[in-house]
Amino acid sequence: MKPGFREKLLMGFFGLLLVQGLVIFLWFSHAMKASVLDEIKNRGVSTGTSLAVGLVEPMLAMDYLRMKVLMDETTRLGNDIFYTFVLDPDQNILAHTFNSGFPVELKRVNPLNGAGPSSLKLLDTGRQMVYDYAIPITVNNDFLGTLRLGLSQTRAEKVVNQVLVSTIIIILLAIFLAGLVGTLLVNPLIRSVKKLHDSSEQALKGNLDVHTAPTLDRNCWDIMACNREECPAYKNYHHRCWYLAGTLCPTCVEGEYAKKIQSCQHCRVYRKCSGDEIQSLAESFDAMTLSLRGNLSDLKAAEKILNEQKARLQTILDAIPDFISLQDQDGRYVSVNKAFCQILGKPRNEIIGRFNQDLFPPDAAALYNEEDRRILSTGTPLEKENQIKGPNGIKWLHVVKISVSQKTDRPKGLVCSGRDISMLKAVQDQLTHAQKMESVGSLAAGVAHEINTPLGIILGYGQLLLEDVNSEGQVYKDVEVIVKQTKICSKIVKDLLSFSRSNKSVVTDFDVHGALEEVIAVVEHTFSLNHVSIHRGFHGAPLSMKGDKEKIKQVFINLLNNAFDAIDTHGKIYVTTGSVKSGREIRISFIDTGCGIKKDNLVKIFEPFYTTKGPDKGTGLGLSVTFGIIKEHRGRIKAYSPPKTDKTLARGTQFVVFLPTDSN
Amino acid sequence: MDLRTFFLLCMALILAGCDDNEHAISVDLSRTEQVIFRETPDVITYAYLPQYSHRVSYTRHQALVRYLRKETGLNIRQIFPDNFDQHMKMVGDNKIHISFSNPFIYVKIARRYGAHAFARIVEATKKETFRGQVITRTDNTAIQTLGDCRGKTWIAVDPTSAGGYLFPLGHFFSHGITKADFKEIAFAPGPGGKQEKVILSVFAGKYDLGTIREGALDVVAGKIDVAKIRIVSRTPTYPGWVYAAVKTLDNKSLDKIRTALVKLDFNQKDHREILEAANFVNVIPAMDADFDSVRQLTGRLGMEMDQ
Ligand code: SF4
Repeated sequence: MKPGFREKLLMGFFGLLLVQGLVIFLWFSHAMKASVLDEIKNRGVSTGTSLAVGLVEPMLAMDYLRMKVLMDETTRLGNDIFYTFVLDPDQNILAHTFNSGFPVELKRVNPLNGAGPSSLKLLDTGRQMVYDYAIPITVNNDFLGTLRLGLSQTRAEKVVNQVLVSTIIIILLAIFLAGLVGTLLVNPLIRSVKKLHDSSEQALKGNLDVHTAPTLDRNCWDIMACNREECPAYKNYHHRCWYLAGTLCPTCVEGEYAKKIQSCQHCRVYRKCSGDEIQSLAESFDAMTLSLRGNLSDLKAAEKILNEQKARLQTILDAIPDFISLQDQDGRYVSVNKAFCQILGKPRNEIIGRFNQDLFPPDAAALYNEEDRRILSTGTPLEKENQIKGPNGIKWLHVVKISVSQKTDRPKGLVCSGRDISMLKAVQDQLTHAQKMESVGSLAAGVAHEINTPLGIILGYGQLLLEDVNSEGQVYKDVEVIVKQTKICSKIVKDLLSFSRSNKSVVTDFDVHGALEEVIAVVEHTFSLNHVSIHRGFHGAPLSMKGDKEKIKQVFINLLNNAFDAIDTHGKIYVTTGSVKSGREIRISFIDTGCGIKKDNLVKIFEPFYTTKGPDKGTGLGLSVTFGIIKEHRGRIKAYSPPKTDKTLARGTQFVVFLPTDSN
Repeated sequence: MDLRTFFLLCMALILAGCDDNEHAISVDLSRTEQVIFRETPDVITYAYLPQYSHRVSYTRHQALVRYLRKETGLNIRQIFPDNFDQHMKMVGDNKIHISFSNPFIYVKIARRYGAHAFARIVEATKKETFRGQVITRTDNTAIQTLGDCRGKTWIAVDPTSAGGYLFPLGHFFSHGITKADFKEIAFAPGPGGKQEKVILSVFAGKYDLGTIREGALDVVAGKIDVAKIRIVSRTPTYPGWVYAAVKTLDNKSLDKIRTALVKLDFNQKDHREILEAANFVNVIPAMDADFDSVRQLTGRLGMEMDQ
């Protein structure tokens, strides 16, 4: 682990002290050693010199005893004085302090020539080192002799070493004390820095309610005795008043910190309460968190409002059945509503951030991109009806695209709104179809009325002619053809009248099953000749309804004939009934195993005169008449090819008729 | 400063703190010898009566001794007896061959050991005679005249001092003051430097009055404030200091010495230096009779010359 600020500071502190101590020790110990040695040497010189002065009188008096006594006393006084002796100018020993004879070699090692300066030599006696001083004994510059004095250097060294040891101890003690004082001084600093660090961590974690600066003994309201509870600084123990905006002191300058602090520096409160740099740092940190907290709560409030508005907008957008999308200036989808998602069959998150090419087939995407580019560059809105193929089939959309303008030159994006008009289209188609049928019906009814009378006359005259002519002759045969064809025309006219509902209806209560059986009984034999069988699947209970039984039977005949025509030979017709909508409706289904109807033709089959059969194979009015009768009874008819309820059949057609039990 | 520079600086400081060891001379202290001091033969010893310290005696007479040695070719050496008695005794013991003493001592050694005067000096005052002085502290108003000295404490140089005791004692006697009139008569203690000791004792106020040889105040002029010393009275003059030779000194040597001494000429530069150091201006021949005035004084005072 890396050392912390405190460790670094203390390490640096101690390191410096240690280096300083080392340098002081080595440098000053040398100086001290030299000075102590110098001192010792000087002491030797001064002792020797004063002894030499004292020796003058005894030497002059040739008083050997006094000389000896003086030297002995000097030797005894200084316990590091090893020896003393006196030589006359002829190098004769006059007196010495050696107890057992004078060492011969000693005399010559440090000679002095006359009354010159004293001489110092270091002697090695084998046992110890000795500083040997040779000091001239003089009177008025007359050389009387030489005083030699031996000072133990070993003892001097001992003294020096003692001094050095003392120095080391003192230095160590000083380092220890300095370290102790340093630690005591550093600790509050470290504590403050740590507190600052903790507070900043807390702030980073989102707790902006930290109090880093120490509390004050006396606060501004105490010092100023203001009693202004409305002031933001009043009883605010954690923030200094000069950091707070809007304080009420007469000397406080309006505004934030930068403006205020100028005036605060002359204030009594500031002078009393402002601390050192660390305290100032802690205080400004507190002020910073305070202002951050204020800003943050403003931001949060704004964010909340924005989120609410966004959610509201999205709800509104989603509630709109039209699809709405917003693209940025690069064509990226930035916002879409629920309807848009449904149209594309993708969740919102798969649409946001994508481009046209990510969402639509290449051709459509290229077209949309081109449209977008044109709108963005020209600013002209686009309005169109669009047919799209979605997962739920083909849809018709009414699309409006407009550019979102902004103050700069470039538009900011595109808003596209579209409405699903498939229903409208279908209704339009149905309306068109109904109108067409209506017109055809009225036309047919008009034509039928006009044709019916002459046709009746032709038929009457024809039949009268048949009675009048020979039945074997050619005329008879020709008239017979006329009568036959006239009858066909009459039937067409009758059908047309039925289609246009111009016939009068006879409403009765009847059983649908009975009506069905009556019809089947008529056709079943004929069908069987062509190997077409009819299979019944009737509802368990009788299904009675109110309506024109004959017209309903006409419907059943038409549908059975249609089925037979589709089969041609060899096939089956399934007739089933049922009750739906809680017995309010009767459902009758006709399924044939015939050739089936093409999907495109399915919508046209109820149009009058529409037929897929060859010439002379029908009038094309069967299904139109059927459609008209069912509509007259407020019922519905649906055609499916292949059949919807019988999935075993790959071909064939199913007609399902829904008839209300009470058409009124 | 980066870490490297700091390190180099530390090393430089550390290295600067180191030094070389001193060179030592080996000495064998085990070989020893017994010291015997042998006196040089044919030495003529010259001693100055130790009225001052040996250092002063040396300073005053060493140049003269050197001159004599050179002038006579004799092996003359100055020696320094510790006190007057020792001086006299050494004369008696033939350890001092040439004695330079005051006339009082001279009359004593002449009588006791047969020493005989052969020259005497002319004082720095250019007189052949000298005298004593009675001194007191300037602020001692109780002693204004000689008579005021009665009942006071008196320090004298030495019982054998001429200017420092004998002449003042005679002076007091002439004024009707005897030893018994003093509260105390003390003598300067210890060897040598006695004139100075008397002055210093009076200066320190230890004694009311002191008696010294005329000129002694000049010796202490640099050591104390002599203005604080007042001369109460001066004694009559007596013959000055005298050179005496012991009986055993051969005449030839004595002649050479006398001749050399008398030859000293104050007008001659090298001689003047010698004479100035010795604090006299001339040496003149003398004979025993020149000191009879002193003998008379001692007689008057009833002093025993043999003791
Ligand atoms: S800033 Fe002034 S007015 Fe406000 S509480 Fe402190 S002393 Fe009172």
